[in-house]
Amino acid sequence: MKKLLAPLVGDAPMVTAIGLCKNAGKTTALRRLMAELEDECLGLTSVGRDGEATDLVTGTEKPDLYIKRGDLFATARGMMSLCDVTLEAAALTGVMTPLGEVAVFRALSDGYIQLAGPSAAGQLRPLCASFNALGAERVLIDGAAGRKSLAGAGVEGTAILCTGASLDRNMDLVVAETAHVCRLFASRRPADAGLAAALDGCEDRFALFGPNGEPWELPLDENGLPRWNKLPREKCALWVAGGVTDPLLKTLARRGAPVTLAAADATHVLAGRNVLELFTRTGGELVVRRELSIAAVGANPWSAYGWHFQAEKFEDALRQVLTVPVVNVNEED
Amino acid sequence: MELTLELREESGLQWVLERLTPMSPFGRAAARSLRWYGPGDEAALETELDNVALALELWNAGGAAPAQEEAPCCCTAPRLDPSTLKDIPSLLRGLTRCLPLFHDIRGSLDRDPENPFDLVELFEVKHFLVTLEQLTMAYAKLPPFQDLAFVPMEESLDLLDPDGRRLPAFSVSETYHPDLPALRAEKAALERSIRAASGEEEKAALLDQRHRLTVREDLLELEVRRDLTRRLMARRADFLANMEALGRLDLFLAKAKLSKRYGCVRPALSDDARITLRGLRHPQVAEELLERGEDFTRLELVLSAGCTVITGANMGGKTVSLRSTVLSLLLCQCGFFVFAESASLPLFHEVALILADTGPGSGGLSSFGREVHLLDRLLQRTRGRRFFLALDEFARGTNPQEGAALARALVRYLGTLDCVALMTTHYDGVSDVAGAHYQVAGLVREIQGDEGDDPRSRIARRMDYRLQSAPPGAPCPRDALRVCRLLDLEPALMDLFQADL
Repeated sequence: MKKLLAPLVGDAPMVTAIGLCKNAGKTTALRRLMAELEDECLGLTSVGRDGEATDLVTGTEKPDLYIKRGDLFATARGMMSLCDVTLEAAALTGVMTPLGEVAVFRALSDGYIQLAGPSAAGQLRPLCASFNALGAERVLIDGAAGRKSLAGAGVEGTAILCTGASLDRNMDLVVAETAHVCRLFASRRPADAGLAAALDGCEDRFALFGPNGEPWELPLDENGLPRWNKLPREKCALWVAGGVTDPLLKTLARRGAPVTLAAADATHVLAGRNVLELFTRTGGELVVRRELSIAAVGANPWSAYGWHFQAEKFEDALRQVLTVPVVNVNEED
Repeated sequence: MELTLELREESGLQWVLERLTPMSPFGRAAARSLRWYGPGDEAALETELDNVALALELWNAGGAAPAQEEAPCCCTAPRLDPSTLKDIPSLLRGLTRCLPLFHDIRGSLDRDPENPFDLVELFEVKHFLVTLEQLTMAYAKLPPFQDLAFVPMEESLDLLDPDGRRLPAFSVSETYHPDLPALRAEKAALERSIRAASGEEEKAALLDQRHRLTVREDLLELEVRRDLTRRLMARRADFLANMEALGRLDLFLAKAKLSKRYGCVRPALSDDARITLRGLRHPQVAEELLERGEDFTRLELVLSAGCTVITGANMGGKTVSLRSTVLSLLLCQCGFFVFAESASLPLFHEVALILADTGPGSGGLSSFGREVHLLDRLLQRTRGRRFFLALDEFARGTNPQEGAALARALVRYLGTLDCVALMTTHYDGVSDVAGAHYQVAGLVREIQGDEGDDPRSRIARRMDYRLQSAPPGAPCPRDALRVCRLLDLEPALMDLFQADL
């Protein structure tokens, strides 16, 4: 098999496959990467439930995960009967899901598995640590799909972003949306070391800092939201722990004074591209506390809803606007 | 006796329990359902206290801190042999390392033996047995706790660990069923072919074959799990006995750790109805005081059968002395050491605390109504049985003349019952009929020049909180005026108050 994805992810210890929408080819990308990494002992898990034969949300046919003997995977106990590998129970994680506690298994044979891993972001790191302790050389995570589900849903390590025709009938819109997300993922930590350190220690929902990270007072209203009209006129940095939405960016853009907006990571920015452009045009700058990177964009010209794009045209259009490599994960050998 | 939340909170027992840190789910379960040692359980309570004393010696030998103060307690626990002392830290670590590793698998054991464990449940049972084996190995080398033994379960562990490697992982090994090795070999060969297959059609056919084998494998594994479940469930009583023993061991260690942290002392059990408490303190109040930079004044109390009355200035610590006494009794009768320098306590069928302040939800009763209702229920419940009762300013919520008469009547009545009671009051004439009378030393210190300070600190500075024996009938101190002045009450109001006196 031609190695498409493996060279792109390099030696990243954790790779998360994320989708811009359902049926963007996330699981296909994951399968491809698993096949390319056939010599490594892998640890597999998902954010929430995945790996089922038909998609539970859209009812479309979905590819199975077929793993090789020796691989590790973490899934909810309730999924055990749906896995046909010979199982060894290796550890319990203490992470509870609606399908039972997440347990770590070792595959004693090749076979199909169903993943239903932790759904809270903070639970992935300890899980990765237990994978490594049990001998996994690399951890692959089947991540969330859709901008809203992605927010804070534990993208760990490097990401493979899957995009496709299922997002919208209009190809230009799909390309623009993909470029927007790639631009968000390119957000970096603040250049000023003082500000970067101040963000690391920040636990509040909102906080205000000077350009070099000195804490400034942020007046809040009775709902705990900042009093936007009281923000200082000089250059400042606003920390937002939750989602960065359209109304928030519009409010900041209307202020007319430049502001640096600091989000937890790129997935927390839910704002659309037009509003983000408005924000940056008025002098706003977006920084993140945790940098994320996209190793590759997987393009799926087929949608689950009956329409599809011309594969080559779609890939070319993506390559025109993206700096990260674009791959067709369905490409045969 | 039921330890209600109200009693736990008012006495401070809840505060103590929140600082109790068992390490295993079984210890936490034991801490949630503490055994109450009533009259007749003296021997069992002594055994419990012996075990806590032994655990305390282990902590003292195992911890970096020097051995705890020479507590004047009457420990009859086996003293540790000095020659073994140096091994104690590592043996104790053997216990404390294992205890947090246990998972609560009681739910899994609560099943029909014909309903097979799933793979993860078998993993959990094995994990329990491996951890139990490690713990019992360390436990066997320690001086033994009384009445605490573990049922050996090596046989069950061997069942789940046929290769004897004691690894914390479980799979249905091929040795469990004669048909499994051949089936799995065939399946592995197919899987190799699937990996090598090039055409989709060929691959699909092989996958189909493989699917049939996985169904057979699943059935064989089910048969194995059924068999294992039956054999493990036959030992269910032993599993539960070991979990109970683990819970008790964990609780001994937790009680002892608490005693070490707060310098508690083992209570002696007195044969007569006589409570002797020396250097008594209330840990919750002491901690609050410490945060304000003040010290708790330790109390000395001797209570005999009948009702003892405490009088004294407002804010003189009368209620705290009630709560401290009740807390000591509750702790002792739950097998804890107590927050005092020495304690000699009898056992009661019931220990009650009736505070004047009603919380919310007193069921439509006024504070007076509630007191009377609680008292009545207690008297009915404890008919003919020994009990302890602490009353805070009983009947203060009604008119003073009737209130004083009711308080006096109650003191007299309690004197005729098999009980020890402690009552605080501001009413004159109540101590005349009491068995004994204590008075808070009161606002005795003359201090000038701290007008700007926190009123609480100003009162605390002038207050001598010690309880002193007073003759029956000694009048109640008249300190309300001074207390009000120290609390900076409105001057105009103070003038009117003073003129009226």
